[in-house]
Amino acid sequence: MMFIHDTVCISPQQSYLQETLFSGSNEIKSPVKNILYAIEPSYEMIPPGILRRMGRAVRLGIGAALPLTKKEGKPFDGIIIGTSMGGMEDCVKFLNQIIEYNEGTLTPTNFVQSTPNAIAGQLGLMTKNNHYNITHVHRGFSFENALLDVDMLLNDDKNRTYLVGAADEISSYNYNIERLAGGYKTEPLTGNNLFNSLSPGTIAGEGAAMFIINGDAPKAKAAIKAVHIFQTENEEELRKQIQHFMQAHIPQSASCLLLSGENADSRYQHYYHCCESLMGTSSSIARFKHLSGEYPTASSFAVWLAAEILDRQQLPAFCVKKQVNNAIESVLVYNNYKGIQHSLVLLQKA
Amino acid sequence: MSRIVVTGMGVISSIGNSVEENRSSLKNAVCGISKIDENFPSRFAGVLPFAQIHTSTENLQKQLNAYEPGVTRTSLLALHAFEEAITSSRLTAAQITSYDTALIGASTVGGICLTDQLYADANAATGGSEYLQSYDGASVNMYLQKRFGVGGIINTINTACSSSANAIMYGARLIKSGRAKRAIVGGVDCIAKFTLNGFNSLFILSDEICRPFDAGRKGLNLGEAAAFLILEREEDCTEKNILAVLSGYANSNDAYHPSSLSDDGDGPYLSMSQALHIANLTAKDISFVNAHGTATENNDEVESKAMLRVFNKPPAFASTKSNIGHTLGAAGAIEAVYSILNIMHQEVYPALNFSNPIPSTGLIPVQAYSAMPVQHVMSNSFGFAGNCSSLIFSRA
Amino acid sequence: MEATQTQLKSQLKEQIVKHLNLLSVKPEDIKDDEPLFGEGLGLDSIDSIELIVLLQREYGIDIKDPKEGRKVLVDINTMAAYIEQHRTK
Repeated sequence: MMFIHDTVCISPQQSYLQETLFSGSNEIKSPVKNILYAIEPSYEMIPPGILRRMGRAVRLGIGAALPLTKKEGKPFDGIIIGTSMGGMEDCVKFLNQIIEYNEGTLTPTNFVQSTPNAIAGQLGLMTKNNHYNITHVHRGFSFENALLDVDMLLNDDKNRTYLVGAADEISSYNYNIERLAGGYKTEPLTGNNLFNSLSPGTIAGEGAAMFIINGDAPKAKAAIKAVHIFQTENEEELRKQIQHFMQAHIPQSASCLLLSGENADSRYQHYYHCCESLMGTSSSIARFKHLSGEYPTASSFAVWLAAEILDRQQLPAFCVKKQVNNAIESVLVYNNYKGIQHSLVLLQKA
Repeated sequence: MSRIVVTGMGVISSIGNSVEENRSSLKNAVCGISKIDENFPSRFAGVLPFAQIHTSTENLQKQLNAYEPGVTRTSLLALHAFEEAITSSRLTAAQITSYDTALIGASTVGGICLTDQLYADANAATGGSEYLQSYDGASVNMYLQKRFGVGGIINTINTACSSSANAIMYGARLIKSGRAKRAIVGGVDCIAKFTLNGFNSLFILSDEICRPFDAGRKGLNLGEAAAFLILEREEDCTEKNILAVLSGYANSNDAYHPSSLSDDGDGPYLSMSQALHIANLTAKDISFVNAHGTATENNDEVESKAMLRVFNKPPAFASTKSNIGHTLGAAGAIEAVYSILNIMHQEVYPALNFSNPIPSTGLIPVQAYSAMPVQHVMSNSFGFAGNCSSLIFSRA
Repeated sequence: MEATQTQLKSQLKEQIVKHLNLLSVKPEDIKDDEPLFGEGLGLDSIDSIELIVLLQREYGIDIKDPKEGRKVLVDINTMAAYIEQHRTK
């Protein structure tokens, strides 16, 4: 069992430190041209000499992580990051230089910043942390593998404390690639009504969520009880896997909230329906992609949201799909990335 | 706790298309580094040395019968090594598709080998190529997963040049924790205009064939390669030929600089000493070190200092990067295979192109093939962003 | 001569601030004899390569060896003097 002790989230919504969505007065931000851009904080904790070099994903990740490293006060026993592409913008900027200057003298900063391990590495460097340091990049399973990694580390020694999280950016470059691949809706949405627009494709998003996780129950915000990942394009296989997971880990589905990764992509909607149907009629259902947009590590936003819901015992109206008046004892995050990668993360009250 | 053993492996590199071919080249001091083919789409074609696999992408497709849309050279090299590994371990289709078979890979280049296509797609210059879903590092393992129906946990790790050492470590930990019964682990990278220019912009590419640990070294040569290993629990392998035991592993961070190592090599020191600790060995138990040895000014001096810190009198060591160049995301896995060959055949292979030791450390690598008792081999991999990893393989 | 050198130095300072994205530095605050590396501006080895690129792109000066670069990239005075001698554009 992993216990979440603190979180910081930078997302397209007000989620950073105290100014969260849960305060009530904050409006839900709508996508602009089908993209939800993260609201970036002022990054006061990042020295200007270091900030000047950072690409967007690195900035988001480090901006979310530093308040936690400051709070912890001593080096974490490891830094474990999930990111699908890391600094995609820097990667293509470097590529553009290669072409523009015909492989002449090129500036190395874009190249160094484009490697996905720049976030975890820079965090290690800034906090002088010599311990375990790793970056998981398996697309829609990047964050889930980070969680599995920590779970194994805590099984070896439950007295350790880890910084775990995910970050991905949306730049015009990965937006172009994804758009050409048919990943985004062609009709522009107006306002925040993603779920009224069931059609092929979804909306783009980005963000970073960071967590302090250890093996201690007292004072935790929430616990992560189980993580499961599998790949299939077969709905029967999906059903089998979810049923098996629920039998093993969710004895009382009535008090379990389903936090669904539904993204209004008509091609994959049936997977989410399948999961909903397995939860039974007495479970509440909530959604989050209209808040975060779609990106490979969007499930980290969902885990942040789930931990807040459990900690506050408050299910905000803006994410409810179906509400049943039960106390929320646990939250099951089900997410699918591009029809193939499925993940289940079960959180419960600490 | 049961031991993690290696039951199969596969390699393709500039010095051979199989494990056996690689061994024979290592024994015979074959260097796979030469000027990049004239037809490589770069101004460095015919200019910079590179450890290239001289099989065209089209011929790889033909040999492997791999015509899926969007398949990249990186994925094809991985497929080549993957097939050899599963064949040598005699894994059945049922075992591969089982829920308890994990696939943990590593690639830093992924589909970015298609530098010009990525440029067009990212800038939306055309209607989109067939490679839109193939650019990331994950695409390689997603391709292998789909082709073979691998049923368990799938992951891709990117810690730059130590990526596949960490993939091996992660696979072993999945088995130890009971999340997998066996793990197919490895890494791949291939020649890319992107990485070539990246390393060139940092002034660490040598315009000559690299000279690891030599006082006059001028930098690294990039290379392309793929390697996979099959890890299993010893108790499940009573009928199998066990090639070696994975007895130790560790990951640490140098926390010093984005692209170079600290003067005293804190990260390398920690990864080496912690791997010894996990393996329950002392420094004097190590028979041979397959060093990271990239032949950059910074790496070789710092790694030497860190070896002196760990070993006091370092054991026999060498860097196979003088044979196959620096293969980035494949380096940890291919050097793991070479370390296991050291153990299986009780022999060590020479470092090439060495003439004078680094004055501040005086360390001299193995310079001739020799048969010798090899009980435990340490393999080092250090990457950008301070990511250092060490693995220890032991005689079964 | 004096005027053009002053002009070159202030142009160089602006280029350095822009090229290195020095967020908190105003070009006019950089002193001509202030060390660029270590104490002073606090630049590092990656910046030294960035400055070599700057010299190449703005002044057509090719420095092939970063060690050579370190002799030039001491402060604004040394850079300006080197540019005057070696510029090809």
